[in-house]
Amino acid sequence: MAQAMRPQMMGARVSRVEDPRLLSGQARFLDDIQVPGMLEVAFVRSPHAAARIRGIHTEKAVQYPGVHAVLTHQECSVLLWERDTYKVGQPVLANGEVCYVGQPVVAIVAENRYVAEDAAELVVVEYEPVTPVLDMRESILEQPRRVHPEAENVFFHKKYATPGFDEAFAKAPHHLTASFRTNRQTAVSMEPRGTAAMVDAASGRVTVYASTQSPHRMREDISHLMEIPEHLVRVIVPEVGGGFGMKANCYPEDIVVVAAALKYKKPVKWVSDRMESLETDVHARDDIHDVEVAFDGDGKIIAIRDHLMADGGAYPAYPFSGAVGETSLASRVLTGPYDIPHLATEIHCTYSNKTPLGAYRGVWGPIASFIQEGVVDRVARHLGLDSAEVRRRNMIRPGQFPYRNAAGMVYDEGSYLQSMEEALTLIGYEGFRARQAKLREEGRYLGIGISVFVEPTAMASSEAGSVGYESCTIRIEPSGKVTAALGLGPSGQGHETTMAQIIADQLGVRFEDIVILHGDTDSAPFGGGTGGSRSGPIGGGAALVAGRQMRERLVKYAASLLEAGEEDIELGNGQAWVAGVPDRSIAIRTIAETAYTNVRKIPEGLPIGLELTARYLPKRPVTFSNGTHIAEVEVDIHTGVVEVTRYAVVNDCGTLINPTIVEGQIHGGVAQGIGSAILEALHYDEDGQLVTTSLLDYLLPESTDVPRIDVRHLETPSEGEGGIKGMGEGSLIAAPAAIVNAISDALTPFDGMVDTLPVTPPMVLQMVSGGRTR
Amino acid sequence: MAAVEDRISIQLQVNGRQHQVEVAPRWTLADVLRHQIGLTGTHIGCEQGVCGACTVLLDGEPVRSCLMFAVQAQGHHVTTVEGVTPETGLSPLQESFRDHHALQCGYCTPGMLLTAQALLDRNPTADEGAVREALTGNLCRCTGYQFIVDAVLAARDQGRDE
Ligand code: FES
Ligand code: FES
Repeated sequence: MAQAMRPQMMGARVSRVEDPRLLSGQARFLDDIQVPGMLEVAFVRSPHAAARIRGIHTEKAVQYPGVHAVLTHQECSVLLWERDTYKVGQPVLANGEVCYVGQPVVAIVAENRYVAEDAAELVVVEYEPVTPVLDMRESILEQPRRVHPEAENVFFHKKYATPGFDEAFAKAPHHLTASFRTNRQTAVSMEPRGTAAMVDAASGRVTVYASTQSPHRMREDISHLMEIPEHLVRVIVPEVGGGFGMKANCYPEDIVVVAAALKYKKPVKWVSDRMESLETDVHARDDIHDVEVAFDGDGKIIAIRDHLMADGGAYPAYPFSGAVGETSLASRVLTGPYDIPHLATEIHCTYSNKTPLGAYRGVWGPIASFIQEGVVDRVARHLGLDSAEVRRRNMIRPGQFPYRNAAGMVYDEGSYLQSMEEALTLIGYEGFRARQAKLREEGRYLGIGISVFVEPTAMASSEAGSVGYESCTIRIEPSGKVTAALGLGPSGQGHETTMAQIIADQLGVRFEDIVILHGDTDSAPFGGGTGGSRSGPIGGGAALVAGRQMRERLVKYAASLLEAGEEDIELGNGQAWVAGVPDRSIAIRTIAETAYTNVRKIPEGLPIGLELTARYLPKRPVTFSNGTHIAEVEVDIHTGVVEVTRYAVVNDCGTLINPTIVEGQIHGGVAQGIGSAILEALHYDEDGQLVTTSLLDYLLPESTDVPRIDVRHLETPSEGEGGIKGMGEGSLIAAPAAIVNAISDALTPFDGMVDTLPVTPPMVLQMVSGGRTR
Repeated sequence: MAAVEDRISIQLQVNGRQHQVEVAPRWTLADVLRHQIGLTGTHIGCEQGVCGACTVLLDGEPVRSCLMFAVQAQGHHVTTVEGVTPETGLSPLQESFRDHHALQCGYCTPGMLLTAQALLDRNPTADEGAVREALTGNLCRCTGYQFIVDAVLAARDQGRDE
């Protein structure tokens, strides 16, 4: 079976099958779903960070022409509650109190959104404001009060230390401390969240259209929270205009929309506007790390102690809190690609009167990288060493894999040192210092920043993956064409293309003859969905396993129909033939016809038809991608404005399925990293009002903010199916650290080191004026 | 229960066709294109005039259809992404977007295409700087822009060769 060993589509730069519909305006996103009689929802949301509700008056709204119904907690009292994990849960419509600005209080169901919003303005809610809890460090101390009287503010606490930590730390010749702060950011998918629901009168089933990353998880959540058996819920995920982790949750609005559709037996839809999305999409990255580092005179880091704190917002996002995800994972990968023997961590996750914290691409990663790479640069500066050299001295060596880090995480093989050396060459690190020195004399401040990253992917339990496996159903139709279905929930990653590439190689059918279905719980086999960079390695692995099993079946058919040995059968281009005798061939279409209609000819032991489902659970609980980003920046010390001028990436995500798609993911992640590093911050004022509620206040990178990105690939295969590693998050994990290290490097004459994400022009100016003058 | 809102009848010229639609004066052009005329290729990303997802051409110039009332578009030629798509296949610019992987989720794409098309019509020799400048009003969260810029530049070169 030589043919099977020679994949043609895997690794090829195939154009995406998704593109034509998206380019021509024919793709169907959530708000494009419109059925006769469909009602639309607008929410009355809390204007207070914290208040008791003394009364809700909906009479005028109920009477407003075009309004179909008004719902309060009384009509819809579902609680988003992960009972086993947390003591509190968010009522989908506020029950007697509000705990963050933007919290849904009343839902108006009307003939269209304009009318619903008019009526929303007529609702009067009597609030009695109470002091909001806004400061993470105070909240840990239960100050100024408990957010929820029934629960301590700290809802997650964990301590860890390697044996002998204290002694190792104390004995080290050098120490430094630093406090790192990441400010709240959020995913800002260009398509906002949205949900539509309708009841099928005949079956009584409810069909929910949801802009989500995980169709089966959404079905589970709806079923579980609303007590509807799963077989009566169908979730369909239409085209999704970006998710980035933010669409991995079940939100209050999802439940309200479903409840309204069930209650009023009408199709109901809600689509978020941008203000709602900035206020109520899960936030991320609200973390503080108080770090102490012990190292020797060569720059070898011996021990890191980190107190990790995260502000989880008012409620645990359902069904997982981003605060726990960010801190607990950061604490386990804090040593990054470095061989640091000792680690001690303490984690506090607290409630506050802010929007719940959830996932945003990279989750823990951008924070941990910011700290780990910031630590390395601080050690280098402290000792007057080159920061690349300090990285070399600390890096895990090729002979050390599988490597168990100080937190007990096991890294599979990677190309850590090689990726850095190649990235240094790519950016021209040697020549840079001379250029930097020369321009500095002219009053121009250039800087270079290195970020070597590890990216744990395909984790058995990631934010979107309710389960550690994925499933793939393959059906070769009687025509010989292929329909395959997976439980993934893509939002731009091109899974219809990459999964078809994988299957085409296995079945020997033409890529064009494969259709990939996803996102409909009626057709897709149960799976975890998309998130945590699991779709490539686990989804792709499932496609590979299913493809292989189907291939075996095709080979059996061909061998029997061509009267040859199975070992002599080759497949390709829609045909099966006897190796070396291309004339003795049979079309896969003919095999399919046989399998479905000429059942007497089916070889013994094979079932009728060509359809099977395979599930794939990787043996390793996680596989690590890695790579190095190097950013070059220029800082204007008079305005504080930072320009990212050059950017190099060497990326290793194992075996590539489609290099072009991988590069697209990297570019996008770097752009988001630029946003994370210098632009994007959600800002609350002292009353707990979110003041960044438009895209004029919350700044996303524009086309002129992102430089050309030079990308090279290394391929260190995983031990899993196909050697595939995940890669959706690594670029955003690495980029902020590279950029802020470059800013710190540029500001070396002023002694400054960036300790806050994002670093804004006023902060840069302060670093310039606060430092010593040259 | 019907809304009391007054509706007026207007004529809109969209993609070369006349449409007679009943609209409330406050309905945006984006909403009317999407929900009254059924051209859902025009997307809404912010309704704040910032993201550019709703970009359409008004007499060949890019405008934000979320900031315009439908009534204001009377007497003008509106072009949406559906209008720049050939009956079969894709336009050269659309092909170039596909060849260069200039889209991921595709939500920003219609707006990008229209802004880029208007740029190339106006300035067939636009360089990378001009392309990036023209696209600053169109936010893309997925691609990091590089492949979009490449696609526009390649379409430009192709236009030159023809
Ligand atoms: S929707 Fe019009 S600019 Fe964003
Ligand atoms: S492709 Fe997703 S926003 Fe541009």
